[in-house]
Amino acid sequence: MKLKALLASAVFAFAAATGVAVAQDYPSKPVNYIIPFNAGGESDIAARLQQPVWEKITGKPLVIQYMAGAGGAQAWSQLNGLEADGYTIMGTNLPHIILQPMAQNVGYKTDDISNVYFFQYTPDAIIVPKNSQFKTLKDLIDYAKANPGIVTVSGSGTNSANDVAQTRFDKLAGVTTTYIPFSGTSPSTAAVLGGQVMAGFSYTTAAITQGDAMRVLAVAADKRVPSFPDVPTFKELGYDMVGGAYRGVAVPKSTPEEVKKQLSDVLDKINHDPDFIKKMEDGGFVVINVPYDQVPDFMAKRKAEYEAAAKDMGIAKK
Amino acid sequence: MSHFTYLAAALTPLNLLLAFAGVLAGIVIGALPGLSATMAVAVLVPFTFTMDPASGLIVLGAIYTGAIYGGSYSAILVNTPGTPSAIATTFDGFPMAKRGDGALAVTLSTIASVTGGLVGALMLMFLAPPLAQVALAFGPPEYFWLAVFGLTLISALSVGNLLKGLIGACFGLLLSMVGVAVIGADVRFTFGSHVLLGGIDIVSGLIGLYCVPVLIDLVATKDPHLKVADSTTGFRLKEALAITMGQKVNLIRSSIIGTVVGILPGAGGSVASLVSYSEARRASKHPERFGTGEPAGIIATESANNGTVGGGFIPTLVLGIPGTPPDAVILGALLVQGIKIGPALFTAQSSIVYTFIFGLLIGTILMLPIGLMVGRYAYKSIIAIPKAALVPTIAFMTVIGSFAIHNNLNDSAVMLGLGVIGWVLNRAGFAPSPIVLGLVLGQIAEQGFVQSYLIGNAQKNVMGMFFGRPISLVIIAFAALTLFYPFIVQAIGAARARANRRPTWSWRAPMAHHPESQVSRLPHDPAGTTVALLFIVLAAVLIRETETMSPLGSVFPITISVAMIVAAAILILRNVMIGLRRKPPAPDESASTPAERGSTPRRLLFLLAMAAWIGLIPVLGFFVASLLAFFAIMAIATHEQVSVKELALLVVFGVAILTGFYLLMAHVLLIPMPRGLFF
Repeated sequence: MKLKALLASAVFAFAAATGVAVAQDYPSKPVNYIIPFNAGGESDIAARLQQPVWEKITGKPLVIQYMAGAGGAQAWSQLNGLEADGYTIMGTNLPHIILQPMAQNVGYKTDDISNVYFFQYTPDAIIVPKNSQFKTLKDLIDYAKANPGIVTVSGSGTNSANDVAQTRFDKLAGVTTTYIPFSGTSPSTAAVLGGQVMAGFSYTTAAITQGDAMRVLAVAADKRVPSFPDVPTFKELGYDMVGGAYRGVAVPKSTPEEVKKQLSDVLDKINHDPDFIKKMEDGGFVVINVPYDQVPDFMAKRKAEYEAAAKDMGIAKK
Repeated sequence: MSHFTYLAAALTPLNLLLAFAGVLAGIVIGALPGLSATMAVAVLVPFTFTMDPASGLIVLGAIYTGAIYGGSYSAILVNTPGTPSAIATTFDGFPMAKRGDGALAVTLSTIASVTGGLVGALMLMFLAPPLAQVALAFGPPEYFWLAVFGLTLISALSVGNLLKGLIGACFGLLLSMVGVAVIGADVRFTFGSHVLLGGIDIVSGLIGLYCVPVLIDLVATKDPHLKVADSTTGFRLKEALAITMGQKVNLIRSSIIGTVVGILPGAGGSVASLVSYSEARRASKHPERFGTGEPAGIIATESANNGTVGGGFIPTLVLGIPGTPPDAVILGALLVQGIKIGPALFTAQSSIVYTFIFGLLIGTILMLPIGLMVGRYAYKSIIAIPKAALVPTIAFMTVIGSFAIHNNLNDSAVMLGLGVIGWVLNRAGFAPSPIVLGLVLGQIAEQGFVQSYLIGNAQKNVMGMFFGRPISLVIIAFAALTLFYPFIVQAIGAARARANRRPTWSWRAPMAHHPESQVSRLPHDPAGTTVALLFIVLAAVLIRETETMSPLGSVFPITISVAMIVAAAILILRNVMIGLRRKPPAPDESASTPAERGSTPRRLLFLLAMAAWIGLIPVLGFFVASLLAFFAIMAIATHEQVSVKELALLVVFGVAILTGFYLLMAHVLLIPMPRGLFF
């Protein structure tokens, strides 16, 4: 009994000590960075690129951990139950955290996620194999107009960023294509390369590793992406389509405001590191800076966008 | 440049040391169910950034290949595949270990794994660019048929008990559909709880269905876990080599099947080993021996699953499309290191690629000495450890293994639940393997089917999509052959069987130590009838659930549920018909099986302790809850008086195991451990 009390008080003292440390200087110890997906995906790669810069800036380790499941929902539904001291942070993804709770009960709501910073996005890209009859986006649209429903477009998953992109594209271009969901970016890309489908919606990051084997017809970014200087944006071609998968960092909701700001500052410094920017751009990522004070505005805009797309996809609240 | 330059580059002492350490670490992690090759590779990625790219890749490749091989240890010694790749290894590996041939089985698995690994790596070195096209030639219909091919193995696995096999497979297929569907995003069969949203993980299913029943029966009796053969000394290397020489064709065929299936993104080691097992059985002169401890079975599965390592790197390196999950992590590591992957890699950065392939070859060869040593040690410890220590240790592995997949205790709860279901079903004659096959192949089959349908529908040629593609037709032909071959063999062998009054087919009994469920359990079979009735009710409930789903999401569950109802109805009808006839004498052997004997209170106490364990972790913290449960299970599994000295030894052993694993998981593998009141 005595031992238990002793142990409990020791634990308490430890917690109190670390609690004090938080307020002063963040970070003063290793930070656990939970990625809600399996290792090897875009979220993981971007975190791996942040890791060395974080350690250079703060002098403290950034420990990457994985908690994959249910397309990220497994981790996000647990986020607010984790320790709220700024030493447990978690990657978040759009449109996932907007569309998932909209479509079904996944154990969290979009507003439960306290996003601190959005640091990058991977623009949607429409891809075809190199021997495809479609040389330009116009070729594809003309063909799709003449043959409604015939053009098959692969993507990763239903209600995903790729699914949103295909829905928006169909609407903007006034065509009907058939979306074929695959279980991930890899099988979806393989289906395009092997000619199993006529085109695919993917991300710039996935297209970059294929080199000459495939052709990118258009990219859904504001301006041309450095790794694809010759590929036009949808905007240039007259379709107002900018989007993709956005990735940020969140903390448990009850984390002190001050810590959230400090975390946002560190992430902002990483985002301005020239070496980090170069490696991200080489990998096909687009670096964006959305610090803590701009997050509400950013989220509101994205929410409006995805809610409109969700309506077209028929996943409005059940 | 000649390949030898790269060989020299790979052969530096540092690289050799790294390969050695990598293989060893891989074997240990692979042998522990739930700790996967992906996890091991991911943890090591940051360390490789400080090395030069080639050395980093060599470590990653060595860990990966070691982990796939290590999965066979637990398959052979504890009937639990350490990785999904080793599922089919349990079929013959565990029966061999039970009868005292564990050392031989481990040695065979080592030789086969090394051969498969070498074939895969050599094909990667010399044939990568052309073989990469295979990955692209496989479209949704081919994946669908490949999964069907895998499922036809059920007919071979359950001859004489086909109905129960089919019902089990349907159950497994239905389990694979739980959670959010990839296609259609329907939430299926979660019954409103978000615990099951992520679906039933294959690994927690494996651990539950294969390992928990073994534990349940282990606590109930005094019998040792494995029989100790008279000649357990040595590796039995000579004997194993002689057997392998007699299986040359099987060995090479399985290695090639493994490599080719490994090339297919989304198929993987489990499919490769199942397909090659099925082919080995079909080609064998003694198919009836498969499943009862046939060395050829181990050779087939273990050479195939290590073949997938080299095979998986083919699309990864040539196309930039990872063949397996660990490949995805390695691909990410390459990107972070600034290496441009894709078609140009083999030409532009050939030095790194070839150094890596040589590293993989070296790692594979190192597996032979390391594997023989570790394997022998593992076998000896499993035999030497008293039951009171073995049971809680394996139970601990099942809990941490199922937890570590997604760092989620829900998976552990699912594991235990499926374990209990598996044990009950097994006693009613429903073997776990068809269920596992359904669970593993369900998603591949469903996605391939729905995608093929969608594409075919868009092109207005659904039939052509399924039956008009050359590769599909070849796979269909093989599947048909596998499906009907056992019946042909059975017909031919029927006369012989009647002559010597012994069933020629007897596939592996569900748990191998329940011979009563191996034979189509004669008349009446009240247990089988009851379970079949329950399955009909379940299928009806599930069909009702599909009402709110989209057409895409409901077509597969409805089809499978209907199939299950039909099979279960036929089974009931058959049992009733036989029951009306005259009753032959009950099989006398069943009275002596461990499932029939043993202490039921101990079984229940064990399950209670397991449930409390999983339930208490979030309250007390991982370590403290595990400590309590570990010693509780130790007490339940103790059948004899224990002296003070022995008790002290057991306590030290338990604390050491728990502390060691806690540290490994929390600080080496960086798994976020659940904390409660304590830690």
